[in-house]
Amino acid sequence: MSHITSSNRPRGGGQGKGGARRQENNKIYAYPLPLLFSPPPRTTVSLATSRVLGIFGSSNIQVENPHCEGVLDRATKSVWVTNKKDAMILWRRGFFGKGDLSRSEPSWHTRQVNAHREAAASAGKTLTSEEIREKRRAERIQFKLDRARAMAQAAEEAEIAFKEGRQANTVSIPSGATWKPQQSTQEPSTTEQTLVSKVMPEVEEDEDKIKEEEPLEDIEHLQLTLQETFFLIWNFDCLTVRDPLYDKRLTLKEIWQTLQEVYYPSLPSSSLKLLHSYANRFDNQFLVSYVAYHHYRSLGWVVKGGIKFCVDLLLYKRGPVFQHAEFGVVVIPVYEDPEDQITSPFRLNNVEPFTWSWLSTINRVNAQVQKTLILTYVTIPARSRVDAALVSSPACLAHYSVRDVVLRRFIPARMRD
Amino acid sequence: MDDTIEAPSFVTKATLSGERREDDEQSSGDEDEGPDWTKLPFIARPVIPKRGEKDFEPKVSGGSGLQRHVLDRARSAMLDALKATRTSSNKTVSHAVWHSDIARAHVTAARGIHFSTMGHSVSRPNLKESEGLQRAHKRLELLPEEALYLVERGSLFCWKPAETIPISSPGLEDIEGSPMTVQQAFAEMIGKEDLTLERYQVYSYLRRLGYAVTRTVPPSKEYPAAAPFPLRQVQGAVGIWTRISRLLAWPFVRISQLFSRSFDWWRPIYIRRWLLCNLSYVSVFKSLRFLPSGYSVPLHVKPPETPSSYQIFYNLYKPSTPFKKTAPPAPDFSIVVINARTTPVPSLSQLNELFDILPELPPPVPRRRTLLAGKPVPPSALSAPSTTPAVKPSLLRQLSPWTWWSTTPSSPKTAPRKPNPFAILKSGKKMVVVAAVDAGMISFFRFGQGAFEDFPMN
Repeated sequence: MSHITSSNRPRGGGQGKGGARRQENNKIYAYPLPLLFSPPPRTTVSLATSRVLGIFGSSNIQVENPHCEGVLDRATKSVWVTNKKDAMILWRRGFFGKGDLSRSEPSWHTRQVNAHREAAASAGKTLTSEEIREKRRAERIQFKLDRARAMAQAAEEAEIAFKEGRQANTVSIPSGATWKPQQSTQEPSTTEQTLVSKVMPEVEEDEDKIKEEEPLEDIEHLQLTLQETFFLIWNFDCLTVRDPLYDKRLTLKEIWQTLQEVYYPSLPSSSLKLLHSYANRFDNQFLVSYVAYHHYRSLGWVVKGGIKFCVDLLLYKRGPVFQHAEFGVVVIPVYEDPEDQITSPFRLNNVEPFTWSWLSTINRVNAQVQKTLILTYVTIPARSRVDAALVSSPACLAHYSVRDVVLRRFIPARMRD
Repeated sequence: MDDTIEAPSFVTKATLSGERREDDEQSSGDEDEGPDWTKLPFIARPVIPKRGEKDFEPKVSGGSGLQRHVLDRARSAMLDALKATRTSSNKTVSHAVWHSDIARAHVTAARGIHFSTMGHSVSRPNLKESEGLQRAHKRLELLPEEALYLVERGSLFCWKPAETIPISSPGLEDIEGSPMTVQQAFAEMIGKEDLTLERYQVYSYLRRLGYAVTRTVPPSKEYPAAAPFPLRQVQGAVGIWTRISRLLAWPFVRISQLFSRSFDWWRPIYIRRWLLCNLSYVSVFKSLRFLPSGYSVPLHVKPPETPSSYQIFYNLYKPSTPFKKTAPPAPDFSIVVINARTTPVPSLSQLNELFDILPELPPPVPRRRTLLAGKPVPPSALSAPSTTPAVKPSLLRQLSPWTWWSTTPSSPKTAPRKPNPFAILKSGKKMVVVAAVDAGMISFFRFGQGAFEDFPMN
């Protein structure tokens, strides 16, 4: 499913052909990272200089690093990017973050505007991905109703034919391939109307109102996960995070510390001793998740959350705009030393071995949506092997390791040749 | 799917299961439905029926005349099929004597096709009192699962040696003892020679599908062991040219290492124009891969004291694989059988142990379908050309073309990717099949060793 999204992009022909849409997406999402590498203008002088520079091991390629800003929110364990421009950069160059009021791209504002413009819309408006989904769902409901009706009719016909002792006439039953939605748009049935009005807010009268109203304020922000945040700051230095607790911009060292502290339980400051037991642990959830996140990001995958499919991460080849996710990743922490697990104040997810029923559940869910399940084992360095003081810097990440295991069902009946 | 909207009505499963079947080999497809007895031709001999479609679903108002008719027809077809006497021809029934002390069934009369893939010959001292002397004697013996499978399917008549005087009946002179019932065979053979009920259930299921199934660890010296896995020289064989070029390039690599700074954990990625560090997305992504990953990294996990319950038990050969009983080839699949009620999903160390002894799989065969589609993905779609400006190799790199080569982005145009990376990513480099048996229900899972490091997307 390609998603047509927001922004004031001039587009002709309304919902264009898939190819045009794809080309446009190729243009918008051309850059896999927030960094931009721009070649110098192509003049003879610059060509000559680039050649000279090349000999001396340098180049005149311009590197453009967007310096985005975000605010740490401890309650939601996320970083909020409220500046619209920054949010767009992070989303479009590498699909970082998600809109807090949208399922992926922050498109709340566009959806609102579209909804207000609803009357004129049907012909040439650009739909957001959420709107396309609602339309698709309404169509699917209609298809199911049509099919059920046709089947009931076929059964009735067969029953009559059986009583009369003759061969039943065939009644065509619509299938997913043959059914077309046009019958619903021409004469929408009552059921569909109610269903659509249920999912789309009722906006009939405000065609004039909108002109009088003040321009709609965009109240949505982009939220980055802590893993995304650290990935952007640490590797590319293209994000600055402000901590509202102390009202200051965090340095890289402070961020490293703070992102781990976010996973400490909120305790009264009196129990400092207790809090101390959470510090300098290799099994901090942030570290384990970050290792897995960095692993797949560094291999060029676009990594998003996968709670919808019982998994921790989803891997997209180029991005959610282009294809469905290909893999669902379950991150499984493995203690090198089981003793560390016993003494740990943390209770990490997925440390205990899965039961077969749970593994089957996850695998079934993912196979149903054409995804392959990956079990990603992240080893947690043993405290007896690696000095715990290393946790104070990212150098400790060198002692973790990642191994992936592909899980699929094996069906002997289909493997015979 | 919105199931609430789908009222239970005359939804035949025809369309649904049809759609599902084309999907993916992972979907449940046609395994879980019962047999359609009406599809059975009326014959005296029972055959395992093919599965059919469900004709209707129950309705609130009760079944109609047509439904009742269809149901009656199906029911009588089932009863007819079950009523038929189960017979087997004398010509295809083999005979064996079960020796529970050595956990083998000695085949005294081998008939039928089963013995091309079952049984092995063992030389045993012949203890015929009448002859008075011991001499080696080659005979065909069956493992407990093999004997039990043949007994259960009515192809083997098993006897139990008895101290009573041998009954001499024509043609069965050399058989001594009392006949065993199927029940008795189950009671005596399960538990012998590491055969658990779970393992037997997996064995018989796979046998019925036509696979040849053998033990991975030979239970005795005389049991033919499978050929070792063929060595695939992938990493080992480094071409002579590569070696020479590596040797020549070495000084330059050293020099460039001297110039580049040691790894700074507070700033892992350097992007700068001097020495052309990371001036394209491909090289940035490459530099990002500095965290240890993959199976070549040493695993520091402390191995548990108890031996792993994940041991490969059966070798599996596809029906199409040429199988020679006396010299079995390397298996097509290796199977671990566990009891799902008592054994949890394998841990990383357990999987690692298994992968260590398994071979690397050949790259999957590209599907014909991609050719038929005839719509090659335009290379421009893979990487927008404007985004990766051509980086001129620096002086250093020009001098040492080999190192430069290794860092060049592999362009999809010049080097066509032979195997589809997704196919490998989805199957893994090595593969072990785990049969989790939950009170007779067998779920087969394939655990593949991930190959993500070998196929970066960027």
